[in-house]
Amino acid sequence: MNKTIIININGIVFHIEEDAYEVLKNYMTDVKRHFLNSADSLEITTDIENRIAEMFNELLAHEGKQVIVEQDVNAVISQMGTVADFEKSEQDAEPGFSDNFYSNNNKRRLFRDPDDHLIAGVAAGIANYFDVQVVWIRLAFALTFLAGGTGLLLYIILWIVVPKAISRADKMAMKGEKLNLEGFKRNFEQELGSMHQNFSNFKQEARPFVYKARDFSGDLGHHLANFLTGFANLFLKLVGILILLACFGWLVFFIVALVAFLSVGHFMPFHDIPYELLRHHNANTIFISAFLVAIIPLVSIIMLVLKGIFHVGSINRSTGTTALAVWICAVGVFVFEVVGIVSEFRSHANVVETITLKPSKNNTYYISANELKYFTAGDSARLNIKSLSPNMKITDDEDNDFDTFNHRNIRLNIEIADSGQPSLTESYRARGAFYEAALANARDIKYNFKQLDTLLKFDQRFYGKTDEPCHDEEVELTLRLPKYAKVVIDHNIDRIANFNIHDCNELNKKEYDKVNTATFIMTDNGMQCKVDTLVTDTIIRKHLPIDSTKIKVK
Amino acid sequence: MIVENTQTQMRKGVLEYCILSIIAKGEIYASDIIAELKSAQLLVVEGTLYPLLTRLKNNGLLSYNWVESTSGPPRKYYVLSDEGKKVLEQLDKTWQELAYAVKTSIGDRKVK
Repeated sequence: MNKTIIININGIVFHIEEDAYEVLKNYMTDVKRHFLNSADSLEITTDIENRIAEMFNELLAHEGKQVIVEQDVNAVISQMGTVADFEKSEQDAEPGFSDNFYSNNNKRRLFRDPDDHLIAGVAAGIANYFDVQVVWIRLAFALTFLAGGTGLLLYIILWIVVPKAISRADKMAMKGEKLNLEGFKRNFEQELGSMHQNFSNFKQEARPFVYKARDFSGDLGHHLANFLTGFANLFLKLVGILILLACFGWLVFFIVALVAFLSVGHFMPFHDIPYELLRHHNANTIFISAFLVAIIPLVSIIMLVLKGIFHVGSINRSTGTTALAVWICAVGVFVFEVVGIVSEFRSHANVVETITLKPSKNNTYYISANELKYFTAGDSARLNIKSLSPNMKITDDEDNDFDTFNHRNIRLNIEIADSGQPSLTESYRARGAFYEAALANARDIKYNFKQLDTLLKFDQRFYGKTDEPCHDEEVELTLRLPKYAKVVIDHNIDRIANFNIHDCNELNKKEYDKVNTATFIMTDNGMQCKVDTLVTDTIIRKHLPIDSTKIKVK
Repeated sequence: MIVENTQTQMRKGVLEYCILSIIAKGEIYASDIIAELKSAQLLVVEGTLYPLLTRLKNNGLLSYNWVESTSGPPRKYYVLSDEGKKVLEQLDKTWQELAYAVKTSIGDRKVK
């Protein structure tokens, strides 16, 4: 059901659908405009109108209908020819004659340009009128805005007074273009669509100034809204770019991390416990599931931002569903594995063993780290260590991964032995899924300590069952020495020592790189650093210009 | 561009001559003129004819009679004026000369 309009062409009445009427009206407006400067414009347009009326009549009679539809109008127009067709044949037939029309068309009219506007298109319109670059006009306005606001007033007046270019013809007149054949053909439908506006614009132009001023406030609001929307869009795009950059950064990080973990898994960039755990516990499954858990939302965010803000790419529904399913699976696997690992750590056990040491005769103890690597009997045989020359030693170093686990969580404390009897207390701690397991893990810890008369040698690592993952094992050593014992501690034990060797070494005024020991004295308040007065002399000698012989005499 | 210009110049003269020739055959309605021009592939759309006819009429070469129509408003039927007939005779002569000139110029050259 369509609304029809009754029109009268030279005394003949037609029923025409509203859409069809708009097309016809538009066409006739163009035709009239085209012949405007011709002396016989009225006669020509009347001829054309009459002929159109006749063709409508024939169409209606031929098809036995009562109402003219858009299709009919288009058929009539195609027979009659568009303005562009007229021009083309005029060019062919009467170049001199049609010059009139061109000069008419080439004359520029002042409009506000709705296609290239910052506020209301006044500057762009002026630029079009004078055929200069719009940026200069804008600059001029901007300068006058600043200079006392006179430009602002001028702008607003122009905004109110100068009509907006709405129809194609207006825009062409604004730019001094003649009506363009290709443009017309291409934009014919578009032109028709804008006809509603075109007519309302005609009315608007006819209205007195007061009404225009009233509309101005509405227009202002519209442009303000446009400006704010533009600003919001810009802001949104900036935020989008930031999100994209962040997401790509994380993406690269996760990919590099995955490749690193999968390919060089035995290499330990972090000495954290979780990593230790992951070395043998379905490590690759966990890496991959964690990777998927992290990467799928990232990719989704990137896609959403691209689609939502930059309108590129699209998210296929089935791809999205698949990605979601994969993500949920990955989360499941990851959580399952992590819970499995965490449950291995529920319980805690502690085994303590105390070894009685032989007292030193001069009450001096030398404490040092064992730098030789420990091998089990099996390993010694396998690696043929016995065949090495007696001068050759295999030392322990931090980063070899000969042993399955880097059991290095050792702390050494030195306290006073109240009984006067030196002793070493070894406390083994471990975790497990339940107490029995934790206890077994703790008992599996083997730590090597050797006393060679006054020399106490501590290993830098302990050993556990080699086929089990780490369970947060740790060894706490407490060495108890009698009062006034002189304790000479080698610098190489620094890593496991719970006390500061370096500062005492400084206090001993020994040259660090030459003497690798620090000397302490055991007191009631624990170990105190022994200040070596003799060495103090050498320091004074070194720093003050005092004759060394004098000090010796003294 | 040169080709287009020449074509334009050639068509420009021929179109008016053809319109006068068609009308010379007897009183005729504008849409019938366009039908003949279309078949001669000179003009394609009707709208372009009206300005030409109006101009020729204003130059006194044509006149028209109003004829009642069954299918719409009264129609303008165009006829040649005496002036028009004279002009047409001159044009006929010119055309013969032109045709001869063109034919002679082309000579034995094969024209596709």
